[in-house]
Amino acid sequence: MNKLIKILLATITSSFLSFSAFAGGHYTGPDLSGQKVVMFGPWLSPEQEIMREVGAIFEKATGATFEYGGSDSFEQQVMIDLKAGSAADLVVFPQPGLAANAAAMGGLVPLGDDIKQMVLDNYAAGQSWIDLSTYADENGKDQFNAIFFRTNVKSLVWYSPDNFEDNGYEVPTTMEDLIALSDQMVADGNTPWCIGLGSGAATGWPATDWMEDIMLRTHTPDVYDMWVSNEMPFNDPRVLEAMDVFGSFALNDDYVNGGSKAVATTDFRDAPNGLFTSPAECMMHRQASFIPAFFPEGVEAGVDYDFFYFPAFSTKDLGTPVLGAGTLVGATNDNPATLEFIRFLMHPEPHEYWMAKGGFLTPHKGVDGSKYASDTFRKLGEILTGATTFRFDASDLMPGAIGAGSFWTGMVDYTNGKSAKEVADGIQASWDAIK
Amino acid sequence: MRKLSLTSILSQLLLLIFVIIWIIPTFGLFISSLRDKDLLSISGWWTSLTTTEINEIHRMLGMEYQIQENNYYIIKGSIFEGNTGKKITSFGITSKKINEFSLGEIATFKDNSEVTIDENGNYVWKSKTEFTKKKGKRLFTTSLSPPSFTFDNYKEVLFKEGIGRAFINTLAVALPSTLIPLIICSFFAYALTWMKFFGRDTLLALIIASLVVPLQMSLIPILTIYNDFGALFGVAAKSYPGVWMAHTGFGLASTTFLLRNFLKSLPNEMMEAAKVDGASHYDIFLKIILPLSIPAFASIFILQFLWCWNDLLVGLVFLDQVPSEIILTAKLKELLGSRGENWEILTTGAFVSMTVPLFIFFALQRYFIRGLVSGSVKG
Repeated sequence: MNKLIKILLATITSSFLSFSAFAGGHYTGPDLSGQKVVMFGPWLSPEQEIMREVGAIFEKATGATFEYGGSDSFEQQVMIDLKAGSAADLVVFPQPGLAANAAAMGGLVPLGDDIKQMVLDNYAAGQSWIDLSTYADENGKDQFNAIFFRTNVKSLVWYSPDNFEDNGYEVPTTMEDLIALSDQMVADGNTPWCIGLGSGAATGWPATDWMEDIMLRTHTPDVYDMWVSNEMPFNDPRVLEAMDVFGSFALNDDYVNGGSKAVATTDFRDAPNGLFTSPAECMMHRQASFIPAFFPEGVEAGVDYDFFYFPAFSTKDLGTPVLGAGTLVGATNDNPATLEFIRFLMHPEPHEYWMAKGGFLTPHKGVDGSKYASDTFRKLGEILTGATTFRFDASDLMPGAIGAGSFWTGMVDYTNGKSAKEVADGIQASWDAIK
Repeated sequence: MRKLSLTSILSQLLLLIFVIIWIIPTFGLFISSLRDKDLLSISGWWTSLTTTEINEIHRMLGMEYQIQENNYYIIKGSIFEGNTGKKITSFGITSKKINEFSLGEIATFKDNSEVTIDENGNYVWKSKTEFTKKKGKRLFTTSLSPPSFTFDNYKEVLFKEGIGRAFINTLAVALPSTLIPLIICSFFAYALTWMKFFGRDTLLALIIASLVVPLQMSLIPILTIYNDFGALFGVAAKSYPGVWMAHTGFGLASTTFLLRNFLKSLPNEMMEAAKVDGASHYDIFLKIILPLSIPAFASIFILQFLWCWNDLLVGLVFLDQVPSEIILTAKLKELLGSRGENWEILTTGAFVSMTVPLFIFFALQRYFIRGLVSGSVKG
């Protein structure tokens, strides 16, 4: 696992370094007239419109029809569908843990060697992506079940350069500076942070990202890996320490827009709006690379907003860790049109289309880097190349019952005032229960 | 003139208070759905008739718009598009002091460029040196906005956000899901009431017993059956016929029970007289029972229709969440997630979904009340 994740660093990074030399032209596919592909996923507006537009490229090339439907209770609904056997042809999983659950129920079909070869050939460090999307089926046999489509970098802090300039703030390069800057903002009468955990049935996940980023900044990567695999119990003092660091941000009424009580009730999609109000409700927002999709209409990357790397403690010798994640697409049947759509997603064209819309990163080596929506997103490459450690989102790798369950709800309880110890004990208990 | 007693005044007053409490949320929703979206996001509907103060950030135009005049480089523009009726009262040039300057004052940036603004949002930004940035600096304005009402929200919601399509989908779900069980239950209730056959009472007991089975328990088993069934005919498990059958199944027990109670109350002599005259069961049902039970049908129709219209769970489970199948409640729930910050869309969407229940309530109020008390009062 450890080695595998290290390769991921190379993986995403290379996507920024790849240039038009490989650019793939247009997708052409077999004639699939009269066939229909239905996709179900967690993406809602505005991502679902983009996904439908991507699907339209497929429709044009093959004659098949494509429909996409999204739900913000995706995690529950997809399980009902899979149990009943009536899931959509393609399912978009926001995390590998959930896809592994679906595979264990026998809900996903193996994608076959030709698609596996496409991932190996086209994705930087293809084998590591394959390992992350290979799960045991209902008979316990390992199958290659899904492809990664759309990856993101999580260790980012978004801010308004103008607001920083007006107040004379500098972008911090160490965690100590970041904390000092937050205190400075409070002293100036500003609110440093906007934090929102609300996300329908998935409420709580943004806090797990905070936790993971902080784990990587307070402990060595080995500890992180032990935490993910539960070799180190969830209520280990080292985890509690990270949770307390998160608490020093989220539970501090002066630090958070609306006070700590607002953290769990603010929707993650609304939270960044505070950067753009007059007067500004907050100065900084820590969120993954996809968040600009939810910024107010008309704001421009590099002008109205920018981002900096969520820095590491200078006193702890842990380098510059980076956290990332990705969504997967799996198939629930092996209809020709369904599998052809997966092959279509391995073609550079859909990647380039979404890149041009913003908020999209890809490990695909064949895409034309100039298609990125703005130079701002290209800067993400620097963050990745500067990383000394790269780790995949921990909650996404944990079993679904933890990573898409008790970890989320536990973090909500924590921001509502439950003690770190109680929360961690509860999560560990739920982990023991599924062992 | 009748003398009003204290108790009747009190009870009337109490009634009035309850009515107001019940109506206020709907009324507020309606007002909100008609308000301008910028105003809606900063002030409550009860302030909709007063002038509202708005703080905004605007970015001035960039270098390509500059002109040269009297040794000055000048950029002119307006921060408002079209006539919004907003009147600026004060402005600022940094996020720290958003109303540092009043109208007519000259604000000076750090680079010594100067800006003035009039109350209609026209600004003049001048500098002795050439402007070199593609994008202008920010202006922070505080303006007073007069009350403003618009149908734009409805236009946007119905045609852009897909509520219009979801509305039609919901009709396509709710109408058959109401008519099918109504037709089945009318025959069934007649048989249970006026035909003598073996096991009739047991059947009735079974129906009453099935009323207590929560539908949530049966979702996955039914969907599994649909899959096998659908595979036989080569159709998708999640489809309109599927959701009609589901609603029919879930509604049949209660509709049959209600109708049976009503039919039981009809005088036995009438059926016997008809039988003596040689009428078959079919004649009796068609010529006597049906005309007599129109009120009962109407009230059952209303109850079942409203149930199907307001349903979320069945629609979520038995239909795909794609534009051609998604129902209104599911669409609203989706918008709540994806457009949670756009209140104008949520309030308008909610009001669109309420129109049909409201219409039915006002048009068929008489039957509605009868439906609610049916079974409890013998008619």
